[in-house]
Amino acid sequence: MTVRVRVAVSFLLAVLVVTPALVAAQESVGSDSAAARALQREVAAVKAGGPVPRRADGKPDLTGNWNPTLGFLSHTVILEDHPGGFGIQAGKSLIIDPPDGIIPYLPAALAERNRRRDDANGYEDQVGHCEFYSMARIHQFTQEIMHSGNSVIINATQHITRVIPLDRKEHLPANIRLWLGDPIGRWEGDTLVVDSTNFNDRTRMALGGDFHGPDVHIVERFTMKDSNTIDWTIRFDDPKTYSRPWTMTSAKPMTRVRPVGNEIFDAEDTCHEGNVDLIHLKGVYDLAHGKDTPLLKK
Amino acid sequence: MTRHRALGFIVGGAAVAVIACWQSTSVTAQAPAGAPAYRAPRTAAGQPDLQGVWRAWNLAKYDLEDHGAKPGVPAGRGFVVDPPDGKIPYQPWALEKRKQLLTKIHEADPYKNSDPLAKCYLPGIPRLTYLGWPFQIIQTPQYVAFNYEWSHKKRYVPVTQVPPPPSPDDQTNWNGIPRGRFDGNTLVVNLTNFNAYTWFDMAGNFHSDALKVTERYIPIGPDTLRYEATMEDPKVFTRPWTIRMELQRQKDTPILDYECTAMFDELGIHHTWPRDFDVE
Repeated sequence: MTVRVRVAVSFLLAVLVVTPALVAAQESVGSDSAAARALQREVAAVKAGGPVPRRADGKPDLTGNWNPTLGFLSHTVILEDHPGGFGIQAGKSLIIDPPDGIIPYLPAALAERNRRRDDANGYEDQVGHCEFYSMARIHQFTQEIMHSGNSVIINATQHITRVIPLDRKEHLPANIRLWLGDPIGRWEGDTLVVDSTNFNDRTRMALGGDFHGPDVHIVERFTMKDSNTIDWTIRFDDPKTYSRPWTMTSAKPMTRVRPVGNEIFDAEDTCHEGNVDLIHLKGVYDLAHGKDTPLLKK
Repeated sequence: MTRHRALGFIVGGAAVAVIACWQSTSVTAQAPAGAPAYRAPRTAAGQPDLQGVWRAWNLAKYDLEDHGAKPGVPAGRGFVVDPPDGKIPYQPWALEKRKQLLTKIHEADPYKNSDPLAKCYLPGIPRLTYLGWPFQIIQTPQYVAFNYEWSHKKRYVPVTQVPPPPSPDDQTNWNGIPRGRFDGNTLVVNLTNFNAYTWFDMAGNFHSDALKVTERYIPIGPDTLRYEATMEDPKVFTRPWTIRMELQRQKDTPILDYECTAMFDELGIHHTWPRDFDVE
């Protein structure tokens, strides 16, 4: 019985994360749900930030749980300016450079993005298969940052963990390709800079099909403004996909929230185990592409 | 045929590497018991420092008991140190059930294959430890985090006082729910709240939802952890039983990634099968 409940939850998550129409439902739930209200209470309870906390080496101490949306989930589908509708909140572009807020795709890449944006191809989105979120998609989730020895560790939901060494100089050989790339960190003054290469070509940045190529060079900057706030930017440099490098930020500054009880100890990352909806996504895909589908046989 | 090869690739991908390390494996299997004299360095919080990337270079993933060669499986010594005969103490019905399960471990279709790992489901504890992929331990004063290269899975083990797990009637997990503590040099992890859908290895060794596991991570040298796991499950076994092996520190490479379900996609296997775990 318990299992069935958990499976159902995983299934629901898979659907919500994948299907634009249902994401709309998630968005409308987003502002009203108990979880969202709890988050808003958490945020409201945070006092105005004090001085930046520092570690023994004098660098900022980023330890904590940080939420980059404050419950304002509006960019799960489109990262650029978009109107609200079907329950999705309107959102301003997250792209801060170029100034027009549009991702500077090369023509062929834009055509590919638009092909991916077509609902008929939604089955291709790796997240529906319970595979990895892209780096750019992390901006929707609470992230836990911790320091350990000479590394910074960043954890987010759905089995996203990055161990970022501060003492490595060179990236891995180019033929090792990773879902989250190969991150190397360094301090520039008080800013933690994370430099990542060695990506694969399988991730998408949002349900709307935005993507980078495997040879992208990604640079993130974490700048602590006060004890409760981190400014985060992410810069994409991929001459095979974009006409120029571009930079994005999160919907809100990353804001300190408290972890919820024993959740991190008692919960586990299940998704594929209960992913009963994938067959429906495949059915939509097969129908749209003129293929036989088990959905029609029922 | 293609599918069959594909499946072999997914579940047995590390076979070559394991075979290459055959000699060190026998040494590992015969490592003597006894109290280790080594004292691990301490973290800033004063806890034994277990941090780093660790890997089991052994054959435990294939079969925890002594076994002869089987298709794709090298012969090897077992890892069961208690009971002394090296056999998992199954109740008679459970031994029969294992036989049944073994008839379906070569099914090419993951959905029909009896091994939950063939479907890329979470392998459970202790299987995740010796699956063949490395994992990284990261410590804070409050918890020990295990980050596994296999499908990027992770778990957090609290080592300070936290409320007990919820009732198993309310929540069961594939990897159980952990509560940890340090006992001298040793990290002890008590696990409860398991579901009944994971195995211990590729040889059909299984348990019920009454499983309780006690893991021990014991540093016995700068680059070696002794790993012990004791299994209790009165529905399936006649008595508790314990496995022991050594884990080696991986110094040259960080954990990389192995997204199990993505391998299905790469091989054209659609993982769209039903997930009704209430039906046998």
